Amino acid sequence: MSSSSSARRSRPGLIWVATLIVAFVVVGALYVSGAGVRIVESLYPPPAVTDQGADTRELYNVVFLIAAVIFLLVEGLLVWTIIAYRRKPTDTELPPQTHGNSVAEIIWTVIPTLIVAFLFVISWQTLNKVDTVTATAETKIRAVAGQFQWEFDYMPPTYDPLAKEPVAPLYVEYAPTGAEGGLHIPTGRTIQLYLTSPDVIHAFYVPQFLFKRDVVPGRINAFAFNVQADQAGQTFRGQCAELCGIGHKDMLFDVHAMEGAAFDAWLADKVAQASATPAPPPSGGPAPSGGPAPSGGAAGPGTELAETAQNIAFTTTELTAPANSPITIKFDNQDAGTPHNIKIFKDSIGGQVVFDGKIFPGVATETYDVGPLAAGTYPFECFVHQNMTGTLTVQ
Amino acid sequence: MATTTLTPAASSYRSGLYDWVTTTDHKKIGIMYVINSFIFFFVGGVLALAVRSELAFPGMQILTPLGYNESFTMHATFMIFLFVIPMLAGFGNYVVPLQIGAPDMAFPRINALSLWMLPLAGILLLSGFLTGGTAAAGWTSYAPLSEDHALAATGAGQDLWIVALILIGTSSILGAVNFLVTIFKMRAPGMTLFRMPIMVWTVLVTSVLVLMATPVITSALIMLFIDRNYGGAFFDPRVGGDPILYQNVFWFYSHPAVYVMILPAMGMISEILPVFSRKPLFGYKAFIFATAAIGALGFSVWAHHMFTTGAVYLPFFSLMTFLIAVPTGVKMFNWIFTMWRGQLMFKTPLLFAFGFLSMFLIGGINGAFSASVPVDFALHDTYWVVAHLHYVLFGGSVFGIMAGFYYWFPKMTGRMMNETLGKVQFVIMFIGFNMTFFPMHELGLAGMPRRIADYSSTAGWNDLNLVATIGGFLIALSMLPFLWNIFLSLRSGKPAGDDPWEGNTLEWATSSPPPAYNFDRLPDIRSERPLFDARHPSIAPVSDH
Repeated sequence: MSSSSSARRSRPGLIWVATLIVAFVVVGALYVSGAGVRIVESLYPPPAVTDQGADTRELYNVVFLIAAVIFLLVEGLLVWTIIAYRRKPTDTELPPQTHGNSVAEIIWTVIPTLIVAFLFVISWQTLNKVDTVTATAETKIRAVAGQFQWEFDYMPPTYDPLAKEPVAPLYVEYAPTGAEGGLHIPTGRTIQLYLTSPDVIHAFYVPQFLFKRDVVPGRINAFAFNVQADQAGQTFRGQCAELCGIGHKDMLFDVHAMEGAAFDAWLADKVAQASATPAPPPSGGPAPSGGPAPSGGAAGPGTELAETAQNIAFTTTELTAPANSPITIKFDNQDAGTPHNIKIFKDSIGGQVVFDGKIFPGVATETYDVGPLAAGTYPFECFVHQNMTGTLTVQ
Repeated sequence: MATTTLTPAASSYRSGLYDWVTTTDHKKIGIMYVINSFIFFFVGGVLALAVRSELAFPGMQILTPLGYNESFTMHATFMIFLFVIPMLAGFGNYVVPLQIGAPDMAFPRINALSLWMLPLAGILLLSGFLTGGTAAAGWTSYAPLSEDHALAATGAGQDLWIVALILIGTSSILGAVNFLVTIFKMRAPGMTLFRMPIMVWTVLVTSVLVLMATPVITSALIMLFIDRNYGGAFFDPRVGGDPILYQNVFWFYSHPAVYVMILPAMGMISEILPVFSRKPLFGYKAFIFATAAIGALGFSVWAHHMFTTGAVYLPFFSLMTFLIAVPTGVKMFNWIFTMWRGQLMFKTPLLFAFGFLSMFLIGGINGAFSASVPVDFALHDTYWVVAHLHYVLFGGSVFGIMAGFYYWFPKMTGRMMNETLGKVQFVIMFIGFNMTFFPMHELGLAGMPRRIADYSSTAGWNDLNLVATIGGFLIALSMLPFLWNIFLSLRSGKPAGDDPWEGNTLEWATSSPPPAYNFDRLPDIRSERPLFDARHPSIAPVSDH
């Protein structure tokens, strides 16, 4: 009798010893290999590069620590309860029928209330530091997010989005990525970003800022931030974070941090360049020289091409046009309810975009003004259905 | 043969199928809700696999960007509106009248109407695939993206989506009224409100949420429909509308909808844990107050989905969102202390209940990160949020649904399910679930936004995405032992008898499956555990009549 009861007692003991050994080996292996450190690091956001992001990361550390402690305690209690109180063959009598305990209920109401009240207060304090606007920002930049790319307008210090008189930007950067393109910002200065959208909601998101803000059409969202001085020379990846349509994945931008003096020189250079050449046309529009040519005119009437989309395919996959003469494409979408467009690239699909036509559902026809093109090969696709492709040969 | 008006003559049943299609019996309706929900779980699951397959490697492989947007939009739509919500309504339909000792729901014909609206809505949603494309603006269908063809590249599918959601909402409202009247007017003698099983309480609170919130989203959907088709200007800023208005109205329903999707699952867990621990639920009344508190607070947190819009009074919604953790924590401790010093019987329902507790805990704790506004600025609309919501809705609701399914299957069919297959399913599903969704926390922290069809191979997200995809297929694999188990058990499962688990509540006081009228006679109801009292008269409360 006593031997059988001691055997029953020793088995759970063995399980505990075995569990401890396995846990020890696993933790030890993780520690030695460095994988444990990497796993813990992967549960933190990237190191912040702005003062505001650093505040948020500090807050994250506290939230994460409290969450991890609560998780380990409660999950541990849960697992231990499940292992310790599994039914044994000797359990013939009912266990004690405890219906509850008011003191316990008060304890696990009050303590979590205090914890979340603390978290709320520190979150609010940090919020007041990381989500600010200032009237005296040294650098004011307007980010325009449209389907599907970013444009950055460098505004004069007097810029006020609420002013009656619109202020022209000093310089407009149309290319969202690359060494030259993207958002250039000075380190160590207060930068205020104004976000606007002409079409749908986008979101400005740079992971290393630990911050994002929606770009809402019909509204100007502004926020101020400082990039830390030691980040000069660094480039950060930014990306649209709010679903904005089929090109959502393509809405990337680069953020280049520069020293203040270098930034001033860069901007002065860009402003000088911009005043030397006329402003580039809005994307997708015709070249400045063309204008709507009267049809049938003798001088450069242009070429009108026809293309039809039917059953998720282009009916003509080879188009030909003369070089340096305005090209229009009469695009007939025969697929009822299905949107199509024509997007034309230089040399290869995915390369430089020379024309991006309006997406529209069938049955309908649109006339695209592609403008004149130099001789060459221009593959095109339907941006909605990227298996729909063709080639425009200009000779 | 003499028949009474209560028992219809056998000749009125033209065929088995005709009987099921025309039935107003809450049990058959409940079972059809469950079957219908599993069908759309399958559809939503296939779409999820399409999404995960596309994301397994960088580069577009199997879907177009539009096809990708359609896939995740319809995945969420099917999972939320045609799987989780109707599945829980189905269990409520089956269980609530039995648990309160009623012969049926209060309005049996309306009950059938609520059910049959759902497959119709599902067909409408699916027909988007045949009419040039489904909705593709996300299940949230934010304006102005959802406003016209050119912006989201969606065709008639978006209108079909609106109509289908209005139908589902109508079905929910009718169901909620039916539940409320049933619970308030049809309880058996002795079944006072504070003797009702927690499952009934959660369905009661859920029904109040549905009744108060669903008309609000219906208004948003109608406004969106008018904007799209009749030149309205509610949400389109180009003509003076306000896209933020849509978000406010949408989330006023859709946040409480999260509680619609989790409270009844909590109710199921609260039925299963006491039975398999052979103890009463710890803190029965505290549990009811916590449920009511979650329901009430649930109406004051909707804008935490909108922290980054720049159009929200942040501290208020932050505080209310933090506070919801308190009643949720109360429930967690009550569940654990229900099992404390109990005698846990490791059958499949308890395993899935453990899955619920351990995974919902993660989903609850990482919710606190999003309540902290600055942290939310970093995490919002990244894969972190995808991880969080799946730990709540899969780790919570789906594990709860599985627990409830294994628990009540014997009552519904009269047959036990196979324990080995059930445990195999649990292990594969538990591992697959964590492989799929845990890495998403890390992806979100590393900066991967939600709803992108592709990512750069140099972004550092390759490995974690591949792990998540493998996990997704493991979840799909775990459905095979499940389906095989259902098939096997229906054909040759062990007969269940009236009360295979030593249950506490009234559904175990009748045969399995119960007769059309549910009960020949009811035991005395003197506590929330009438069957326990009947089994253990020596420690039962003294009769009050």
